[in-house]
Amino acid sequence: MDINSIQAQIEGDLIKIDSIAGLEEVRVKYLGRKGLLAELTGSIPNLPVEQRGIFGQQVNALKNKLSGLLAEKEGILKTKDSVFKKNNLDIGMPGIARELGHIHPITQIIDEICAIFIRMGFSIVEGPEVETEYNNFTGLNIPLEHPSRDAFDTFYLKNYPKLLLRSHTSPVQVRAMKAQKPPLAIVVPGRVYRPDAVDASHLFMFHQIEGFLVDKNIRFSDLKGILELFAKSVFGQDIKMRFRPHFFPFTEPSVEVDISCIICKGQGCSVCGRKGWLEILGAGMIHPNVFKQVGYNWKVYTGFAFGMGVERIAMLKYGIKDIRLFFENDLRFLKQF
Amino acid sequence: MKITYNWLKDFVNLKASPQELAEKLTMAGLEVVALEKVGGDFVLEIEITSNRPDWLSVLGVAREVGAIYGLKLKNPKLKEPKIKPNDLWPIKISVSQKQDCPFYSGRIISDVKVGSSVQWLKERVESLGCRSVNNIVDITNYCLFELGQPLHAFDLDKLGNREIRVRRAHADEKIVTLDGVTRVLGPEILVIADTQKPIALAGIMGGKETEVTAKTRNILLESAVFNPVLIRRAKQKLGLQSESAYRFERGVDWEAASNASLAAQDLILKLASGKPAGFKSLGVTKVTYPVINLDVVYLNKVLGTAITVLKAKQILKSLGLQVQTKTRSILNVKVPSFRQDLKLPVDLVEEVARIYGYAKVPQTLPAVKPGQAVLDKRDLLGSIKNILCGLGLSEAITYSLIDRALLKKSGINADTGIIEILNPLSREQEILRPELFPSLIRILAYNLDQQQEQVSIFEIANIFSGQANAVAEKPLLGIALCGAQGFFTKQGLIKDEISLLHLKGILEVLFSRLGIKNFDFTRQQDNKINIMINQKQAGFMLDLNPQEQAAFDIKNRQVVLAQVDLDKLFGGINLGKKFSDVPKYPPITRDISFVINEGISVQELLVAIEAKGLPLLKQAKIADYYQGKQIPAGSKGLTISCLYRLDSRTLTEAEIVPVHNSICSLLEERFGVQLR
Repeated sequence: MDINSIQAQIEGDLIKIDSIAGLEEVRVKYLGRKGLLAELTGSIPNLPVEQRGIFGQQVNALKNKLSGLLAEKEGILKTKDSVFKKNNLDIGMPGIARELGHIHPITQIIDEICAIFIRMGFSIVEGPEVETEYNNFTGLNIPLEHPSRDAFDTFYLKNYPKLLLRSHTSPVQVRAMKAQKPPLAIVVPGRVYRPDAVDASHLFMFHQIEGFLVDKNIRFSDLKGILELFAKSVFGQDIKMRFRPHFFPFTEPSVEVDISCIICKGQGCSVCGRKGWLEILGAGMIHPNVFKQVGYNWKVYTGFAFGMGVERIAMLKYGIKDIRLFFENDLRFLKQF
Repeated sequence: MKITYNWLKDFVNLKASPQELAEKLTMAGLEVVALEKVGGDFVLEIEITSNRPDWLSVLGVAREVGAIYGLKLKNPKLKEPKIKPNDLWPIKISVSQKQDCPFYSGRIISDVKVGSSVQWLKERVESLGCRSVNNIVDITNYCLFELGQPLHAFDLDKLGNREIRVRRAHADEKIVTLDGVTRVLGPEILVIADTQKPIALAGIMGGKETEVTAKTRNILLESAVFNPVLIRRAKQKLGLQSESAYRFERGVDWEAASNASLAAQDLILKLASGKPAGFKSLGVTKVTYPVINLDVVYLNKVLGTAITVLKAKQILKSLGLQVQTKTRSILNVKVPSFRQDLKLPVDLVEEVARIYGYAKVPQTLPAVKPGQAVLDKRDLLGSIKNILCGLGLSEAITYSLIDRALLKKSGINADTGIIEILNPLSREQEILRPELFPSLIRILAYNLDQQQEQVSIFEIANIFSGQANAVAEKPLLGIALCGAQGFFTKQGLIKDEISLLHLKGILEVLFSRLGIKNFDFTRQQDNKINIMINQKQAGFMLDLNPQEQAAFDIKNRQVVLAQVDLDKLFGGINLGKKFSDVPKYPPITRDISFVINEGISVQELLVAIEAKGLPLLKQAKIADYYQGKQIPAGSKGLTISCLYRLDSRTLTEAEIVPVHNSICSLLEERFGVQLR
């Protein structure tokens, strides 16, 4: 057997090896005391004198080469073995990490909505929860003794006859407009209070988000455009919208905005009361009387305002049927968000 | 409010189906909330907004339907019948204060035959959910529903001296109303009286005594306008709602008051026979119609539309307004008495937009001029929430209104400065909370009760306190922790019972993340630790004792709480960042393990070590601690890791030996530790 075919045979043998034990067999076969290379070395004296030198060198070179190949293969097999060991780990075991907490769903909705308006260029402003009767009503063109106030049942405070718990976030309109001149682009999130009997859809405390834009040349069409952008960002691009005339003392024209029911896609279901539509917010062009109260010239400036209940939006978005869950703070509820 | 489809057809030649009509009305601002087939008719239930009392009638809605569909309104005018002088009865009516009752009319119809109503009349009033009483009462109700004007028929012969006096009730005067309830009145309530006593609550409900019964022969038919605020106050005071009061507090139409009286008489003569025997009215006789100038340029500017002058004019006219073109774009609009809600040009803009269709107004996007984009408190609160969330705490939102009992349970006895609610619906809403943590204990207890092993919650909310003339609102951060925090390591599950140190760790991470450098925790009482920011108290940590836990039915747990004044926390925040070089040369660390009396504060120890080790010692920190069987009771085992480094070159072992030894001696000599 010549040197070259032996080398080919060795390489062929090595390829098939996939374990350290198998490699040892190969080593014994070639490099062992009675191995093939020992045999070749042993055959040297039988060769003609002039060939002995060259053949000896070739056998030595093969020996070195083989040692190298074996070492290399051993290295590969050892790594492979340790990989096998890692694969013995049961990946079904629990992962190791500390649990994160959860942000309250109401905060998440408020942040999501505020972020949409911040991207449009609005600023966030907040106001106090204890308000004056003026900011909550009179400044917003809500007469003191009129049925339009029935919609704003209000908690009053003992010993503070002019103060109340704000029944909506709109008083911040009055505050912001008295504090600065147009242009204004403001969004107001916050807690509001109404003495409503508690049931699955009513509570005495809830959250609202108010928004308003005041400048020269702000139009009802702008209100429609902004609200569509907003509603599609929150509820998805494929919703339909409708704008129904309505009445609010602080806006004229006023509108209530419905979206096609996100549960039944407008077919009519229990959530939308078979109507196919869900009311999500009230809005309108800021009433000239409100501008008069804050000292803006209504012939120069126009503006729109809108307001929505955060709990209602969260209930629709997450499919929550009882508003009280938000304030029970059961961890099994909170951890779902 | 309910109306029926066929009834509307009495006034307009309506071709649209009830379903289509409902849709159109809704999109014009009369939201139809229910549509129901009743017999051969359809009943529409409409939500009428409080600014439109004129829609509280079939006629009013028919007028709207006419405008929507471009149909002419059929509204025949009745004439006052001529009465022979011999048939005229004397009518005595007086109104004590004109502002209480700007218009009052009485009509006498004699020799009526009271009986049950004819079928169609009965069906109509019943279709709107009104009980049929007798022909006279049904006719007054019919006219109320049809024309929107509340009417009342008195049995004339039961009126003392057959006289009507519109006046305020005397203190403690009494009346038995039609519903059989005896009501005690007062001077804030307007009544209709005869010479002796009240016979009706003006605008709200008639009296039992003068009610029309089967025996009634002669009636006095009242049609009036009362002061809306007065009716509203009386209604609220008496807790009494009625179809009449509902309309009067919204304001009725002066002209309709006369028309309705005539219409009712007409029906009574037809359906209950009788003879007209006199009419008398007091107060307003002529109404002036206010004029509003509407510039169509302004209209389009507000709406973002291109509605023509002609179109605007046509819409306004279809709503029953008198419109004349004043200049090229300005319309001169005369407001009829049934539209007292129309006061400003913008009110007319809405009218045009409603009928034109909100849907047809285009959608545009305004150029928003952004305000100052500064990082404000709200952004910081967002960061705080996210950091706490990252530390495993969940956010709770609890009511700002609480019960006093909750304060007492939490060991708060403060009585001054508590803000009380004047009109709470229940005990749970009696005060505005002066502290945040009681609400969190309650939530924590609730969750433990729901078998939650571990509760880590926080809330950011305002608390309230009373000052001389104002109420102060202060934002607080509250944290409540309880239970064993279980987490996996390579060695398996480790359960770590939450303690004050966990709470401290959370606050430390929070504070340092917000760039608060100067903070400290100092013991105030055994179970209460003060949180100091910039040397001032900014809050506290509390380890709830067993009695306090028992008040919330928590048993055998460790509950720790924190409350931080956020304004004080904001004062310590410094989000500015400054880079210092990453060390170029390696440090040498040496640990010291020792046993020390457990009364000695670790912090004191570290401060002393760091002072001693200057300038080579860069940091000394607790590397491990132990308390248990292997060391004597009353002491703790500590390992402190000292890190030595020079910024200019690599330190040698020989250089740190003297420093490290001096630290060890300090520990032995000053703190009496036993080195191990």
